[in-house]
Amino acid sequence: MLLKLSLTSMRKMFKDYLVLLFGLTISIAIFYMFQTLAQNEAFVKANSMISATMFVFHVGTFILGFITIFYIFYATSFIQTLRQKEMAMYMTLGAKKSKITQLMFMETLFIGLISLVIGIIIGIGLTTVIADLLMEKLDFSAEATGFKAIYTGSILTTIIFYVALFLLTSMVNAWQIGKKKVLDLLQANKKQDFIKTSGVKTFFGVLFSIILIVIGYYIMIDMAKFKHFGVILASITIVPGTYLIFISFLPFFVKKLKQNRTLNETGINSFTLGQLRFRMLNLTKVLGTVAMLIALGLGAMTAGISFYHNVEIQASKLQANDAAIYQPTTEDLNTMEKMKLTEKHTYVYKVSDDGVFFLKESLLKQPPLIPNMEKGIEKLADVKIKRIEDKLPAPVYSMDGTKGEGLPDKWLTAMSLELNASYNMFGERMIHVVDKSHYQQVKAEEKQVILVKADDFSNYLPEFKQLEERQRKVAESYVGKPVENAGGKYNNYVSLKSFSSGTIFMGIFLGIAFLMMMASVLMFKLLSNAGADIQRYQMLRKIGVRKSLLNRSIYRELFLLFLFPAIVGLVHVLVGMQMFSFILIEPYTKIWLPISLFLLIYGSYYIITVQLYKRIVLPKH
Amino acid sequence: MSQYVLEVNHLNKCYGKNKENQFHVLKDVAFHIEAGEFVGIMGPSGAGKTTLLNVISTLDQPTSGTIEIAGTNITTMKQNQLADFRSQQLGFIFQDFNLLENLTVYENIALPLSLQGVATKQIKPSVLKVANNLGIQDILTKYPAEISGGQKQRVAAARALIHEPAMILADEPTGSLDSKNAKSLMETLVHMNENLGTSIMLVTHDPLSASYCKRILFIQDGQLYKEIYRNHTRNEFHQNILDVLAEFNTLSELN
Repeated sequence: MLLKLSLTSMRKMFKDYLVLLFGLTISIAIFYMFQTLAQNEAFVKANSMISATMFVFHVGTFILGFITIFYIFYATSFIQTLRQKEMAMYMTLGAKKSKITQLMFMETLFIGLISLVIGIIIGIGLTTVIADLLMEKLDFSAEATGFKAIYTGSILTTIIFYVALFLLTSMVNAWQIGKKKVLDLLQANKKQDFIKTSGVKTFFGVLFSIILIVIGYYIMIDMAKFKHFGVILASITIVPGTYLIFISFLPFFVKKLKQNRTLNETGINSFTLGQLRFRMLNLTKVLGTVAMLIALGLGAMTAGISFYHNVEIQASKLQANDAAIYQPTTEDLNTMEKMKLTEKHTYVYKVSDDGVFFLKESLLKQPPLIPNMEKGIEKLADVKIKRIEDKLPAPVYSMDGTKGEGLPDKWLTAMSLELNASYNMFGERMIHVVDKSHYQQVKAEEKQVILVKADDFSNYLPEFKQLEERQRKVAESYVGKPVENAGGKYNNYVSLKSFSSGTIFMGIFLGIAFLMMMASVLMFKLLSNAGADIQRYQMLRKIGVRKSLLNRSIYRELFLLFLFPAIVGLVHVLVGMQMFSFILIEPYTKIWLPISLFLLIYGSYYIITVQLYKRIVLPKH
Repeated sequence: MSQYVLEVNHLNKCYGKNKENQFHVLKDVAFHIEAGEFVGIMGPSGAGKTTLLNVISTLDQPTSGTIEIAGTNITTMKQNQLADFRSQQLGFIFQDFNLLENLTVYENIALPLSLQGVATKQIKPSVLKVANNLGIQDILTKYPAEISGGQKQRVAAARALIHEPAMILADEPTGSLDSKNAKSLMETLVHMNENLGTSIMLVTHDPLSASYCKRILFIQDGQLYKEIYRNHTRNEFHQNILDVLAEFNTLSELN
C-alpha cells in the first residue's frame, strides 16, 4: 500500500521530480568526471609537470563533494515543501508518522538511485565528449595519455559516495517531517515571512561590508607585496565582506529603491520590489554563497584559460628570439623562407675538443635582442626586450671565467638563452667568445648559426617544430648520444603549454561544476519559497492585474535575484585576476570566453527557474 | 446606459462538458442592482453563491446569459480586457483579507492606482483620503503582519475603494472576524454605501452581517428563490432574514 501510494504520488508530481532528477544527474555526472580525472593516474602523470596535480584533483573532488551535499539538501527540501500538505493529509487520515517517514525515505532513495544510474551514464558520455574536445584543443591524444572515459574505480567511488549521501539525506528528511506537527504541515503555505531591520545595524553593516571588500581588493591587486600572507588576508576580508553585502547592503539598496515614490508607485513595481526585499532577507546566506562560488568557479575557469593563452607571451618574455639554428641545412633555409622574419642574424663558431668558440666580431656586428631581466622587476609584464649595447673589450671570454674573463651578464643571457649555447646543445664543452686572432688559432671547421625571430611565433609552430627536430640531430652529433630536449624557445613553449593544459582542463571542469551547482542551488531555494507566493499572485489576478504584467514582474524579480550575486562574483573575479599578474602577463586575455560560458550556464538556469516558478504561482488557463 | 450598476439576465452556468455529468449550478438567474444600492446575496451552502460571485467578478465565464456592469457586457470580453475591467470597475473584499504581506498598508492601498498608471502625485492624496474615511490613517506605514484582523479587513476595504470602482464585491468579509470587528466592518461598509455612494454586493451566510444590507436576494439550487427589502429597523430585518432561512431549512427537510 505504502509503495503504491508513493509511486502514484511520484507519477503525479513527475514534473517536479524531474527537476530534482535533473539537478542530481548533473551533480553525479560532474562528480564522475572529476573522479575520472583524479583517479586516472595515467592521465594525470602524462599531462602535468608536477605530481602534485593529483592532489589538486583530489581537492577538487572534495570541494565538489561538499557542494553536492549542500545541493542535495536544498534539492530535497524543495521537493519536501511541495509534498507537505499531502503528508499532512495522510497523517490526518490516521497514517502513523513512522509510515510517513518510511514513505519519504523510500522516495528520496528511489529518486537517488535512478539519478545515479542516469548520472553515471551521462557522466561517461560527458567525459568522453569534453575530454576529446579539450584534448584536441590542447594537442594531446587520448591514446598517448591513457585517458579512459569508463573507469571502474571512479564508478565505484561515485556510487559509494552518492548512496551514502542519499541514505543520509533521506534520513534527515524523514526526521524533519517526523519532527513537525500535523497542523504546521497543513498550514505550511500560510506562514508569513516578516522581517524588520534596524537602521543603526544596517548602517554599520553597509559600512563594514564596503571596508572589508576594499581592503580585500587592495590586497589582491598588490598581491606581489603580500605574498602567501596576502592570500589568507584576502580570503578573511572578502568572504565575510561578501556575506555582509548581501545581509545589509543589498536590502538597504532595495529599500532605497522602494523609497523612490515615482519608481515604487508605477505599475506593479511596488509588488515586485516588495517581493524582492523580502526574498532577499530570506536568502542572504544563499546569495552570499552563490556569489562566492561564482567567483571561485569563474575564477578557476578564467585562470585556466588565461594561463593557456599566456603561454606564448610568457615564452616570448623569457626568450627574445624564436630559434637558434646551428649548421643550417638547405631544408632549414627552405623552412625559414616560409616565415616572415623580423630578426635574422648569422654568427660563426668553431667546435674543437677544447670547447666551443664563437667569433666576437660576428656577435658585436649584429648584437642580438635579449629580455631585460634586471633586479627589481617583480612582474613578468615589466620585462622589456632590448638589444645588447655592451661591448666586449677583452680578447677571450668564457662562460664560467676559467679561461680569459667571465662573460658579462647580458652576454651570458644572450649566449645561453638566445643562442642556446648550453649543455643541451654542446654537452660538456665549455662555451667561449673570442676575438679574430684567437678564433683563427682554433683548428676546426667554421660553422654557422642563424638566430631568427618571426613576426608571430604562434603562426609558425609547425615550422619551428621541424627546425627543432633537425636541431636535435645537430645536438646529438655534438653530445654523442640522442638528445631528448635540445632547449630553445619552441621546447620551452611546449613544456609551458602542457603544464597550463592541465590547469585549463581542471579550471574549466571545476568552473562548470561550481557554476551549475550554484545556479541550481539558487533555483531550488527560490522555488521552495514559491509555495507562499501562490496566494499573492492569485489575489493580484483577482484585482485585475494582467497576466502579462505578472509575467513581467516574475521575470524582473528573479532577474534581480540572479543578477546581484552574478555582479558581485564577477567583480571579485575581475579584481581577483590581478593576483596572477606576477606570473601572467595579461591576466585578462580572452576573459570573454569564460564570462560568456558563465552567462550561458547561469542564464539558462535563470530561464528554467522563471518557467518553473511561473508554473507554480500562476494559474494554468 | 442603464441606471443599473449591475444587470444579470438569463444567466446559466454548467460545469462538465459531458451531458450526463453536467452539473447545472446557476439556472436562468436574473436580477439587477441600482447605482448606490447595498445588496446582500444569501443562500445555503452549495446554492451557487460563490459561482454567481465568480461569474459577476469576471473570474469565471458563464455558460449562457448576459452580465452588464456599468453598462458594459462582460460576457464577451477577452482575458486581458477582463483583467483591465476588474482593475478599473470592480473592488474586491475577500474573507481572508488577501493583503500582500510584503507591502506596507499604504502600498497595499495604493496598488490598484499604480497598476492603472496613475501619477505618483495623485496617489498619495487619494490614499490619505480613503484611509481617513475608514479610520486607518495611523497604520499606513505598518506591514499587514503588524495589524489586527479587523484593521486588515478595513485596509482591504480601502484598497477596494481607492480607484472608485462602479461596484464593490464582498465575499464573506466578516467570515474571519470576531463579532466586534465584524460589526465595525459592516458599519464601515454602510458608511461607504451611504456617505460615498458606493454600490456594494455582499455575499454572506451570516444573517447578522446581512441585516446591514438594504435588500437581500436568496438563492437556492442555482435559482433566485426570494427577495426581501429592509423597510424598518435593522433588528426587524434581521428577524425577516432568519425567517426566510428557517423556511429554507424546513423545505430541505421536507424534500
